[in-house]
Amino acid sequence: MILFENVGFRYGRGPDVLQGLSFDVPDGAFTFITGASGAGKSSLLRLLYLDDLPSAGKISLFGRDISTLTRDEIAWFRRRIGVVFQDFRLLDHLTAAENVALPLRVAGAREVEYRDNVAEMLQWVGLGGQMHIRPPQLSGGEKQRVAIARAVVASPDIILADEPTGSVDPEMAERIMQLFMEMNRLGKTVVFATHDADLVKRSKKPTIDLKSGTSSGGVAA
Amino acid sequence: MRNSSLIPFRSGGGILMALIVAAMAFLACFALAGALGASKLAGAWTDGLSGAATVRIGAEEGAPEQQLDIVLDILKSTEGVIDAVPLTEDEVAALLEPWFGAAPELSDLPAPAIVAVTIDSANEPDTSIVQARLDGAATGAVYDDHGEWRGRAASAAHAVRSVALGALIVCALAIAAVVILSVRSGLSAQSANIATLRLAGAEDRYVAGLYQTRYFWLGLIGGIVGCILALGAMVSFDALSTVSRALPSLDLSGYWWFLLLGVVVFAVLVCVLAARITVLGTLRRGA
Repeated sequence: MILFENVGFRYGRGPDVLQGLSFDVPDGAFTFITGASGAGKSSLLRLLYLDDLPSAGKISLFGRDISTLTRDEIAWFRRRIGVVFQDFRLLDHLTAAENVALPLRVAGAREVEYRDNVAEMLQWVGLGGQMHIRPPQLSGGEKQRVAIARAVVASPDIILADEPTGSVDPEMAERIMQLFMEMNRLGKTVVFATHDADLVKRSKKPTIDLKSGTSSGGVAA
Repeated sequence: MRNSSLIPFRSGGGILMALIVAAMAFLACFALAGALGASKLAGAWTDGLSGAATVRIGAEEGAPEQQLDIVLDILKSTEGVIDAVPLTEDEVAALLEPWFGAAPELSDLPAPAIVAVTIDSANEPDTSIVQARLDGAATGAVYDDHGEWRGRAASAAHAVRSVALGALIVCALAIAAVVILSVRSGLSAQSANIATLRLAGAEDRYVAGLYQTRYFWLGLIGGIVGCILALGAMVSFDALSTVSRALPSLDLSGYWWFLLLGVVVFAVLVCVLAARITVLGTLRRGA
């Protein structure tokens, strides 16, 4: 599903953020990406949601070398990848429900087709009562859950999450963690970036540890 | 759940944009009105002149009556000539009246003899051949099928049409330029939102579609407003021209409505195409 072969990455002519990274995430796996701030977790996820190309090595997604994708193919691949961004990336002028519906809407679905699905997703993340509230009126944890609902509403094959428990209290973090575990049980491949070592230790899932930009352990290829 | 626009367009910018489209549509209507008016006028001139020719026999050549008979014989035996009738002295006097006044002593002056020739418009005789035959028999007889005058009227109309076409192109370019600037600034102001749409799986053409819809409405509203203003201006111009004969009548009937509709459609097309090309180009260059 996800295959990294000796991948290196840097921004422009800057220093290497990632170097010689090789790993394989099989279909249906739950994989943690750990490392201190600045270790390259977000950069690795950016490569996975096709926002950038590696500066060295090769990344294969769904069996395709991502450097060969056209802009349209990138859009179609992204419909199979749900992302929970660290900064949520919600559209402030849309309601929570409209934000959740976004991946369906840009894929051409009509409102009557997805209305129930969106409402169900918001119920699932515990925001059934806040459907028509816009993000600026939501708390950090609520925004986080809108972002999670949006990431999974189109039933993607891969779910990427960048520090989804970073800005919430421990109780909410536990709830969010349960949501991701549930999605994994439904067969989704989950890649979960976090710097919370306790969380990783407790869940006993395979881990890719980025120590100053290099791979060590985890599900090494 | 109400479906809001995925891009929060600013209404202020939209009003300005529609105003510019309205101004350009207004000018385009007048350019078209000018072109059509010129074509119509030239058409009226040439229609009045085709199917008719004139032979003028100079008075100074002597024995005009004798010459006149020869000329009539030649004309009547020419293919393409339907009829040839000499003008009476009174008719010639009437033609000369604007220049000489109604002078009773005109008959004392050596007036030229004039033959009105009716020709078959579908089978016009060759001017140079007719002239050559006249030259052989009657010196001083000049055949005039008004070709020069018709040519001048046609080229004047052609020139006006070219200027009008140029004005239309300038209007289209001005609309396109404003749309391009407006879309570019919109794309950069909305770059974060557009990046989010892309990350949610939107193709470039989906984003372009959002802008196309927006500029379709701005073009439509602007175009309609501009055309209504132009129509108002033309109706009052037309009312003025019936009072003062110095102004040509615009004749606001029939195809005028199609013309205004055409200007609106044209404005909308330019807006939508310019928006689409700009969005696709900007996104492809890396947004």
